[in-house]
Amino acid sequence: MTIFSTGLEKQLNILDYALASFWRRKLKNLSVMIVFGAVIFLLASFQMVTRSLTETAADVLAAAPDITVQRLSAGRQESLPLAYRDRLAAIFGIRKVVPRIWGYLFDEGKGANYTIMGLDVAAMPGGEKLPQSLAAGRFPEPDETGGCVVGRSIVRIQGLESRRHFSLFRPDLSLKPFRVTGTFGAESAILTDDLIVTTLPEAADLFAIPAGLVTDLCVYVVNPREIDTIAKKIAARLPDSRVLTRSQILKTYQVVFGWRSGFASICLLTGLLAFIILAWDKASGLSPEERREIGILKVLGWETADILTIRFWEGCLIAALSYVLGVTAAYIHVVHFNAALFRPVMLGWSVLDPTFRLVPVLEAADLLLIFCLTVLPYLAATVVPAWRCAIVPADSAIRGG
Amino acid sequence: MESGCLNLSTGQPGLIELAGVCKIYNQGRPNEVQALTNIDLTVEAGNMVCLRGASGSGKSTLLSIIGCVFPPTSGRAAIAGKQLVRLPDRFLTLHRRRAIGFIFQQFNILPALTVLDNITLPLLPLGVAPGERKARARALMASLSIGHRERFPANQISGGELQRVAIARALINEPPIILADEPTAHLDSRLSLEFMAIMAELKTAGKTIVIASHDTLVTEHPAVERIIDIRDGRIHVS
Amino acid sequence: MRPSHLLILFLLLLAALDGVLYVDYLRLRHDRPAALDILTATAAGLGLSDLCVATEARYTRHPAASDRVAPVMDHPGGLEHFPTGSFWAPPPYPETRKEIAKF
Repeated sequence: MTIFSTGLEKQLNILDYALASFWRRKLKNLSVMIVFGAVIFLLASFQMVTRSLTETAADVLAAAPDITVQRLSAGRQESLPLAYRDRLAAIFGIRKVVPRIWGYLFDEGKGANYTIMGLDVAAMPGGEKLPQSLAAGRFPEPDETGGCVVGRSIVRIQGLESRRHFSLFRPDLSLKPFRVTGTFGAESAILTDDLIVTTLPEAADLFAIPAGLVTDLCVYVVNPREIDTIAKKIAARLPDSRVLTRSQILKTYQVVFGWRSGFASICLLTGLLAFIILAWDKASGLSPEERREIGILKVLGWETADILTIRFWEGCLIAALSYVLGVTAAYIHVVHFNAALFRPVMLGWSVLDPTFRLVPVLEAADLLLIFCLTVLPYLAATVVPAWRCAIVPADSAIRGG
Repeated sequence: MESGCLNLSTGQPGLIELAGVCKIYNQGRPNEVQALTNIDLTVEAGNMVCLRGASGSGKSTLLSIIGCVFPPTSGRAAIAGKQLVRLPDRFLTLHRRRAIGFIFQQFNILPALTVLDNITLPLLPLGVAPGERKARARALMASLSIGHRERFPANQISGGELQRVAIARALINEPPIILADEPTAHLDSRLSLEFMAIMAELKTAGKTIVIASHDTLVTEHPAVERIIDIRDGRIHVS
Repeated sequence: MRPSHLLILFLLLLAALDGVLYVDYLRLRHDRPAALDILTATAAGLGLSDLCVATEARYTRHPAASDRVAPVMDHPGGLEHFPTGSFWAPPPYPETRKEIAKF
């Protein structure tokens, strides 16, 4: 017990010395910590945002249509005839086919893109639960003229807090009037912020799409295991169409965020690498003051291992504190500040700023990955070169340096 | 005679015993240097001797061997009862901690540390708790009349006080042997005499003291029992 | 107080802060299913397949507006089915502007 307590006291003494040494050079050390912590903060934030978005997308997309049918012409999407719905009705296994006009409108005056959706919500399989997404009002009836439900960003940008009517330009620059019958709530913001939902005829009128044409057919099947089989049958029956299953769309989404996140991560990792190289370069050299200090300590009875322990504690302190502070700041940034720094990168730089709260996913594997990418290289870069202090001869202090 | 065993003892083993000690740096390499040749030296416990020699004479090398910093290349060296030859570096360090107190040229105090922290530096790797470290340091500071400077950074005290801090640091481990390398080189006469007065007290208390110096205030001090001249790595008897 | 004790105290404070944040995280995850139900209902009811987080994703073209961006996919699996626009604003309609200029 005595040997243990002496050993423990020795380590605490060395830690005290390391901390005092750290504090003596506090400007330099705190600067390193801030930079290192900032790099970890950026990496961790990206990781959390990406995970959060892909998890939400995966959960939400589970409710997307089983199969989406679109029409391609010269490799570009075009409207498809409503009559295709009847051709699909003959395929065994299809439960429902719901036509939809799904497009975007660029509001030149506001510089914003709106997503416009025209469909009969009552015809959708999940339509009965749809009113849950509303903060107020109702969805327009199928034969209602000009009725629409808008997202919160639309309310804001069109100034609909105090009025119900607004207009949008048709392609021939005539105005199409709309009347707000309902607004989407905050809980569905991540899906509906930029959305205007109206009836099929109203959407066709807005886009000047000729009657009898739609942009998508939402196909729902009886047996989910038959999705791929039915998709093949649809492709065979409608050779000019593009048939997208839900799993294909989910992969696309993962690719989108994976691309953006990966691009940003590569930039950050490059910065991290530069930082590690600088740390190695700094740690590799011993200043005359450091050599003198090491020589004095050695003559006074400090072993080389004790001196290496000082450098180890200093490196550990910076690395560990930077990591903890960086990850903590990343969490606060993502959850309580809605990842404000990265929204333009991860979420696009739109005029409409989708207002939703991200709930990150804290996976031990992610935290460990960030730890291995940041703390371990830094420790290797700063502690390994500390062996140089082992070659400072103890008699250098006796010789006067 | 050029060298000899300057042993004035009564036959009992000395605290410092060197016999036929040689030190060669970079042995076998083109820049090989023989720093010490056939050094025979015995210093009894409680004696004060002075090593006198010019720069490059081998004085610092001899001091390093006596101080258990490194072992000799050949010969026998026993310091405070421990043979140094073939002793691994770690054990040399452990022995040095317990047996030797160093007072350096220019004192080699760490300027950023406080007086108290400088004095207690040798106690840290021994696992001595903070309370005990402070108690021992304060006792020494009181005896050396520098207790009022405890919290001062070492770069804010006078030369004389620095000297006492260096002495206190050398004594904190209660070593039997004190080594001082040109301790008065940067001190005026008054401080040099003060230093020697403290050394004399330590000698009376039973410490064995070896001072490397060519300052006459040191070499001609009555407390110094022997002067050992070193020239070209050999002891010369004049 | 010795420096190592100060460090331990600081680490304990950090641990307490992280503990509070973790409890908050657990609360958010606990509340998530309720929020997810609404999102799922919205996605199912409207047949949505994208989060409106990239309203200018370079993935779609619409017959209502032409754009300068060629229909080249970023990734072999990156199907361009989102109805949203490109990085750049759609070009102004040159014929329409001439009509307006006449006035």
